[in-house]
Amino acid sequence: MSPRGWRRRLGRQTLVLLVIVYCLFPIYFVLVQSLKTAEEDVFGNPLIVLHPTLENFEELFVSKGEPRGFVGAVLHRSYPFFVWLQNTIVVFTGTVVLTLGTAVAAAYALGRLRPPGFRWWRRVIFASYVIPQTILFVPLYHVVHALGLDDNLLVLVLVYPTTALPFCVWMLSAYFEHLPREIEEAALIEGASRATAFFRIILPLSRPVLVAAGIFTLGTIASDFTIASVFLLSDINQTIPAGLGTMEVALDELLAVAGINLMAIPIVLISACFARGYVRGLTAAMLEGA
Amino acid sequence: MSSRVGTRRRREIGLAYLLLAPTLLLLAAVLGYPLGWEVWTSFTNLSPLQDRVAFVGLQNYRGQIEDPQFWLAATVTVVHAAITTVAKLALGLGFALLLARPFRGRTLVFLAVFLPWAYPASVSVIGWYWTLSPPITTSYSVFMGTLKYAVDNALGTGAWVFLSVTLFNIWRGSSFIGVLLLAGINAVPPELFEYATLESKSAWQRFWMVTVPVLKPFLALGVFLSLTSGFADLANVWMLTNGRIVFPVIGTHAYWLAIEGGEFGPASALSLMLVPFLLAALLLLFRLFDPPDREPA
Repeated sequence: MSPRGWRRRLGRQTLVLLVIVYCLFPIYFVLVQSLKTAEEDVFGNPLIVLHPTLENFEELFVSKGEPRGFVGAVLHRSYPFFVWLQNTIVVFTGTVVLTLGTAVAAAYALGRLRPPGFRWWRRVIFASYVIPQTILFVPLYHVVHALGLDDNLLVLVLVYPTTALPFCVWMLSAYFEHLPREIEEAALIEGASRATAFFRIILPLSRPVLVAAGIFTLGTIASDFTIASVFLLSDINQTIPAGLGTMEVALDELLAVAGINLMAIPIVLISACFARGYVRGLTAAMLEGA
Repeated sequence: MSSRVGTRRRREIGLAYLLLAPTLLLLAAVLGYPLGWEVWTSFTNLSPLQDRVAFVGLQNYRGQIEDPQFWLAATVTVVHAAITTVAKLALGLGFALLLARPFRGRTLVFLAVFLPWAYPASVSVIGWYWTLSPPITTSYSVFMGTLKYAVDNALGTGAWVFLSVTLFNIWRGSSFIGVLLLAGINAVPPELFEYATLESKSAWQRFWMVTVPVLKPFLALGVFLSLTSGFADLANVWMLTNGRIVFPVIGTHAYWLAIEGGEFGPASALSLMLVPFLLAALLLLFRLFDPPDREPA
């Protein structure tokens, strides 16, 4: 290979290495801390762990939320982490299902049935992103209170979809809109009902876009800390982010870091499995939508 | 016959509205009513510290414009948004262009680029925050503490926290935009890029004459979503630190007014002032992405 080509390759590989370090270092750092004993946390090397242990993770599951005594004047409590984990699974599953269900219904209406002004409907729905979230939870509390949902997990299942819905409806309806009419029409002429044509033909065809919408929803709702901590007050009703936010980090830094990993790792694995599908779905929606 | 077609179409339209209803109901309850409340409140002196609510017209808006705190927050907001958006776009575009061509280990690099966004920000913001401002003597807290005080001394108290949140926002946002742009590049026929390679004099020219214009709608989408979601990171830290963000942006300043000061009127007026700017960005996005007359992009 010519010296120039060789230099180029080296430059490219350095670049790739830099990108990987930039992207993964924070994730690696948090993972390493969670594997440390208290002693290594204080005296060890911050970047590596010499005696990895899972005791921080175990302790999260052992504790049930009872007080552990006092450290100075501070009540040192334990945390009902297992309950938080269950709550998180319930909320996230419920939200993703509700978001995809409503988004597909709306997108089918806008992309296939096309009521008058369907493009404007789509824009109005997407435009809800301009509403500033800042102090929205104050009036939102009125709604929550009127529905009798104070300190209830259902609040999140109702509020979270609105953060992902506008994008999902836009993406899915753009995709539906540009699927050729004929593929559905043939089935309708054969005597199939609209519902059959939808479930048998349209839905299987749009699998990549559905995956993209699902991953977008998961990524969006998993980033919320504010809504969860505002609306879930008692610790048995909290999700992991809300619960971790109430931890006394000065005392339980290692537990908090372990908790972060316990929430992040499953979500990262799920997302990684669908990562290629996510890009494929976005591309499909853009091809049809642009 | 035509009346039967008419009936069918009417039933289709009816079904369409029925299917739209759940989405519209959710948005109306969770966003519509609160928005209405905010607009109404911005014209009143509503406060938990007061019994009687009075209509005060534009006074809240006027009060904000005359307040130097508002201008500080507005300046920080604009600078923060500009810097993070440019950084996210530059990094994201770099990632997308790097990943657009095949090379050994591309799948792994792609996953690495994808993960900062997929990693749940609700918990990573906790980890990030406590890493950069360590609470107790961990092995890295001396190093981080030194850095923190150096930055705070140079730029003012609170600068380090603000800077770290900004970095976090860029780290996560560049991942999202990178993947979005990669999907955009995949949607462009490869022949276009091949043709551009033949026709253009330099890679630099090709970048500005072909890549950027072709990706413009996706860049616009990325900018818009990054602007509207960028606040969430700051809000997260605000919640986490009980409002100890010394550098106010419009969003956190509104929080502070509402929650610490109980001044719902000015807080509502303040957060609504962002809407015209976001709307302008949205209209631009619609023009680029979803042209009303559907001319081929």
